[in-house]
Amino acid sequence: MEAQLASRIVAGLGEAGIDFMSYLPESRLSQILPLMRKDPRFKLAPTASEADAVSIAVGATLGGRQAACYMESTGIYVSCYQLVVVALHLHVPVLLLVSHLGGFDDQRNSFLYSLPGRRLLPQLRALDIEHRVLENGVNLETNIKDAVRTMNALREPVALIFTGDFTI
Amino acid sequence: MTRYECLQILAPLVTNHLIVTSQSGQRIEWGHLSEHGGNLLLGEMGAAAGVAAGLALALPNRPVVALESDGSTLLSLSILATVANLGIRNLAVFVFDNAMYSGTRISEPTATAGKTDLETVARGAGIEHSVTVRDVESFKKQAVLAMRGTTLCFIVCKVEESLIHREIHRPAVDLVENKYRFVRYLEATEGRVAPFIGRG
Repeated sequence: MEAQLASRIVAGLGEAGIDFMSYLPESRLSQILPLMRKDPRFKLAPTASEADAVSIAVGATLGGRQAACYMESTGIYVSCYQLVVVALHLHVPVLLLVSHLGGFDDQRNSFLYSLPGRRLLPQLRALDIEHRVLENGVNLETNIKDAVRTMNALREPVALIFTGDFTI
Repeated sequence: MTRYECLQILAPLVTNHLIVTSQSGQRIEWGHLSEHGGNLLLGEMGAAAGVAAGLALALPNRPVVALESDGSTLLSLSILATVANLGIRNLAVFVFDNAMYSGTRISEPTATAGKTDLETVARGAGIEHSVTVRDVESFKKQAVLAMRGTTLCFIVCKVEESLIHREIHRPAVDLVENKYRFVRYLEATEGRVAPFIGRG
């Protein structure tokens, strides 16, 4: 991902009011992490599992933070239980920032990633989690703001799926 | 020692604490003993410690308590390594370990009935104050320390199986209603409104 896109994601998250992010690092969007670490607007919580990341983000939201949760596509499978029994069950908004590793537009796709990548969007539909796929930086900041507004209105997690230019 | 006896000791120690419960038996017993506004009653395994950690990070000056069980902790062991490395000090995790899955109604054994020792697992994950208590007096001592909210604590409470929760009336408040009571309590006591509240 170009450095400019990483900067725009971080700036967009800050402008949208995100002030907390739990995460398990991955390879496509990882440039956002050093930028967020330097930015006093964000509190970061590295985790050992995407399941931990979701439950921690839920707790942070209930504690008054506007939380995001960053992971790669396989993290949705790992955290599926927490998404259902905590975030969806209790109606708690969390912004899921998901790199579409293994997706159709993943510029670094390979046989290693393609199978789990292919099942990401059907999995989100099965979970009834609203999501939007972003292929490039067009309207990036607006999409982030829209996602935050939507998740607060729904009181549910909403996902932004990053593919295409974000996976270079 | 039973879980209910421990919870009876814990309830009067609650002041401004946030208490996150795990699955049903414990949720019912704690809901029966405490009507504290800072109770967040979850109804599932494998989530209380994580949600409590998120609360502790969001509100670092507030003591947060997770009421867990052996089965619930075993389901989400990674959270022990996660919280140990987050530098959280205001979190206490009580694990009521009866060495069985009581909810199965046939009392199937958990791994702690076999070779697994959760105190050792937690210490290996990096939680320095990880202890096991086996009697009421030891529980009281550890509870008083943990409720201060100044050190990350992991307290394995070896309890006998008890089915007292089946004799207690289940709470009439559902999980979502409880969530709103919880965030309203925080709004009143922290002056901080959850980001999803209002906008009607």
